[in-house]
Amino acid sequence: MSRGWRGAGKAVVLAAIVIGLVPYLWMFLTSFKSRVDALADTPRWVFSPTLEPYREVFLHKDYLPLVWNSVIIAVGSTILSLVLGVPAAYAFARLSFKRKEDLFFFFLTTRMAPAISVVVPMFVLFNHLGLVDTRSAVIFAHSTFNLSLVVWMMRGFFADIPAEIDEAAMLDGHTRAGAFLRVILPLTAPGVAATAVLCFILSWNEFLYAFILAAFESRTLTVGIPGLVTPHGTLWGQVAAVAVVATLPILLFTALVQKHLVRGLTFGAVKG
Amino acid sequence: MGPRRRLTHRVVEESVRVSHRPPQRRLLRLAARLGEVLADRGMGPAFLLPAVLLLFIILVGPFFYTIFLGFTDLSYSTPGHDGNFVGLANYRRLLADDPVFWHSVATTLRFVASSVSIEMVLGFGLALVLAAQVRRPRAVMPLLLVPMMLAPVAVGLLWKLVLQGEFGMVSYYLRKLGLIAEDTSLLGDSHLALATMVMVDIWQWTPFVTLVSLAGLLGLPRPPFEAAMMDGAGRVRIFFDITLPLMRPLLAMVLLLRTIDAFKEFDKVFLMTGGGPGISTELLSIYVYRVNFRNWDLGYGAVCAFMVYLVVLILCKLFYNALGQAGGSKPT
Amino acid sequence: MLIVTMTARAVVTMFAGISLAVTSCSCKGDKKQERPAPTPAGSAGSGEAAGPWSLEKAAAPYRGVTLRTIGESLPPLEAMGRLKADFEKRTGIKVVIEMYEHSEAVNKVMLDLNSKVGRYDFILQPHRELGRFVTNGHLLSIEKFLNNPALRDPSFVPEKVLQPVLWKEISQYDGKIYGFPFTALTMYVWYRKDLLADPQEQAGFKAKFGYDLKVPTTWKEYSDAAAWFNHPEKKFYGTAIQGKRHEALWYEWLNFLYSFGGDMMETDTGSKCGPIIVNSPEAVASLEYYKSLIQYSPPDTLNYFWDDVMALMQQGKVFELVMWNDSTYAVEDPAQSKVSGKMGFTTLPVQPGSKAGKTGQIEGWTYLIPTDSKNPEAAYLFIQWMMGFDQQLAQHLGGGASSRPDVYAQPDVKKLSYSQASMDTNAVARPKPTIPQSPEITDILVRELSLALTGAKSPKQALDTAAVEMNKLLGACAPLKYPVQ
Repeated sequence: MSRGWRGAGKAVVLAAIVIGLVPYLWMFLTSFKSRVDALADTPRWVFSPTLEPYREVFLHKDYLPLVWNSVIIAVGSTILSLVLGVPAAYAFARLSFKRKEDLFFFFLTTRMAPAISVVVPMFVLFNHLGLVDTRSAVIFAHSTFNLSLVVWMMRGFFADIPAEIDEAAMLDGHTRAGAFLRVILPLTAPGVAATAVLCFILSWNEFLYAFILAAFESRTLTVGIPGLVTPHGTLWGQVAAVAVVATLPILLFTALVQKHLVRGLTFGAVKG
Repeated sequence: MGPRRRLTHRVVEESVRVSHRPPQRRLLRLAARLGEVLADRGMGPAFLLPAVLLLFIILVGPFFYTIFLGFTDLSYSTPGHDGNFVGLANYRRLLADDPVFWHSVATTLRFVASSVSIEMVLGFGLALVLAAQVRRPRAVMPLLLVPMMLAPVAVGLLWKLVLQGEFGMVSYYLRKLGLIAEDTSLLGDSHLALATMVMVDIWQWTPFVTLVSLAGLLGLPRPPFEAAMMDGAGRVRIFFDITLPLMRPLLAMVLLLRTIDAFKEFDKVFLMTGGGPGISTELLSIYVYRVNFRNWDLGYGAVCAFMVYLVVLILCKLFYNALGQAGGSKPT
Repeated sequence: MLIVTMTARAVVTMFAGISLAVTSCSCKGDKKQERPAPTPAGSAGSGEAAGPWSLEKAAAPYRGVTLRTIGESLPPLEAMGRLKADFEKRTGIKVVIEMYEHSEAVNKVMLDLNSKVGRYDFILQPHRELGRFVTNGHLLSIEKFLNNPALRDPSFVPEKVLQPVLWKEISQYDGKIYGFPFTALTMYVWYRKDLLADPQEQAGFKAKFGYDLKVPTTWKEYSDAAAWFNHPEKKFYGTAIQGKRHEALWYEWLNFLYSFGGDMMETDTGSKCGPIIVNSPEAVASLEYYKSLIQYSPPDTLNYFWDDVMALMQQGKVFELVMWNDSTYAVEDPAQSKVSGKMGFTTLPVQPGSKAGKTGQIEGWTYLIPTDSKNPEAAYLFIQWMMGFDQQLAQHLGGGASSRPDVYAQPDVKKLSYSQASMDTNAVARPKPTIPQSPEITDILVRELSLALTGAKSPKQALDTAAVEMNKLLGACAPLKYPVQ
């Protein structure tokens, strides 16, 4: 491969990284700016930083508990979706039964219903079940879109593992389910990791269900952000501070499962 | 034993060895036993039932209630509209008397088509470049993922700030670089606003396409490529004849997922333009939001939402059938 | 002589004693002479007569209750958050305040009321939602609390201390009282008085326009001043209209509509509908004028709402604006504004020849008690207490907008640069619809106004479309006064 092409490739990647990161970096800087600095007409890359926005929003406005709420809901819905969705995906990959593809398509369609249309009946339903104003309601609601993601992605990962491995494991004395749990699942750990990351992100950042179904005390960080847009002026420093803090757990979570993600991609290159 | 069987055997040996190590937690072991017992009586239902049941109760139930609402006049604002049955009146109103809805359909289709197609091309292209020319693509990936990690509300506010006419960082540099004129307004011009929203969407979601494409590319089997190169095939032919067909299921899955999500796009467009200027960025989701949450016209809103769902459903079924089973096929 | 003095003194003492006895014993058969209630700390100017009613006594049956409310996360609510400690200490009633963004607060309440969850003991809502709540049976009229001597503080006489038109429009519907105004908002002109006073600008202006540069009192003067100060090459603009597709646009245009002699419907109060006149010639003229201000505004003005124009003014990039009375403190605050001390505020200009003189709009958030409230009496006590003079003053100085003229008359308030304009505008402010369809009317108008501003439709077409849709929405109670061909 010619050096010119390699150079161009690297430049493209660099450009993509820059374009992706610069607005985020700007937001990071804004979280340390006073209002006058944040709205200066010549963008201020150098300014005297202040912790005022963080203090204001996390201490005075008491936004710290929201981080915890977000964590519980995101972790809860990820676990729920994985526990229910991974076995379902395995069933799709291994079994064949009538209308299998229709059922699979059904899982996909659950993603299509716009939250706006379903949230009010959902609210009524949870009210009847006495679940309104709880975090569980939000966890259940989030699983409605995360389940389809889990089933879809994991089916592909399971399908990539030859069925002979299942059979070999069963010959070794495992039951069907045992083969699934003890043999196959560990092989797809990277897939599970990648799917878990995506589920976590989607649940963490979701707004509408978290707003409608949770109580004021259990609201998430995402729900807390619009409250900083006021008719007296958007509190840009505070918005940025909340957004920065909101991305930290995601980066952390991604870093934690990074190892599995890495293993998965190398493993995939070796097989076959 | 052939090389393939040897490899499989080794993998199986390794996995079986690993599995004989006692699980760390008692609870896990118990759950496993329970699952095995249940599953042995019929793996399918045990594995599938919990998920299907949850979805039915939490989603399908409310969804059918929404459909039912479409036949009523339920409104939280107009007194007396308590949910009386009105038959097809709402449907008639939608089909005959709501030009704003159909204009929104057109706007949304334009938005989805532009953003998703560009995201697919850019994302897959970037993944190709990463896979082929970067020595350690996995180290670079987390950096690329950042736009995707921000909450959509945060993305909306962030881009509102940086695109603001007088104080925005991005509009400042765009003007300095001469890419836009001094008096061009990106969000205040009804001819440019939709394009600007498409750009922001591309910024936000291309990383998703890149991530999944890259995972797929790095997981492709080597033998077909080695064989093709030994045959003397050029890079372009290899791409079209081997890479693309092998990646088809994955790309199809990403395309479908992105299309569905793009149709539901709401947060950042609502925050940045409110559907304006005029009606140039009024997406379906914004219109449905207005009907359901501003006018509280829940009966009519249910019909609008159901229509949106139908449009997405039909589109996706067409894609799904045309592209073959995405994610379900085994690598050939 | 001593006898006379002594007798005089005796007479005076007797007289004093009698009047004391008369005023302190207001209830028939109440033989117990209770000590007058301790007056709230620093209650200057309230002139309350001490009676047997006291907050502690009235709240005693509700001790230990927790009240929950919801409102918009803005300084007045934050001020209430600080003030409530005093109430909690005196009564043992706790108050929990949920703070949300404007539309979030409205949506949450709507869902709560309709699902009868009964989460909130009292609520704060924009007055335009009144019709929806009342006609669907979601609100308790507070008249029964006002007339309940156990709850009513006799020293609080809303008919006397609240501005009557504001109270009527913001918290009453169809002749019944549902609460008290939490904030009384209106809009008027903000301008840079330092630029007006600059002799060079004055000379240049006079040379160009032929009259002295001064605070605009007519719309022609307003646009002349905007034209004069508009220097886009220097990134300084004459004015900035809030042209984003957002209700800020509708709020801003209403000022022009009223000034030009128009209105949305021909009616004298918000709870009634009347003939639709939103497409009258005056209305069309006001929209055409409003649109003409785009040329003196920044390029992005059709994506600006109150947030952006506020930032513009704070950064010293615009000469004049039509903005809100409750956010004036933000532009005078040196911590966030470069132009503090340089601002002037005045009532809206008039349009000579229109039948409207000085005018303005009534807007506000109101205290309300839902039908499903679990503690309506305790909620009423809190609301009544918050409407007391001291609390209102503290809240107003903390960034609120009180509806009590006596608060405005306070020296601390009077010396603020924007108080005069607020008072003058409140005096002439006009009601807007509070009927159940009011928010939907707003949405229709926002869309049509936005289309007119972008040029997709002419002002007349846009307003005609709006009129027709309003007519379809409201039916027979709002016929078209200016039929559309």
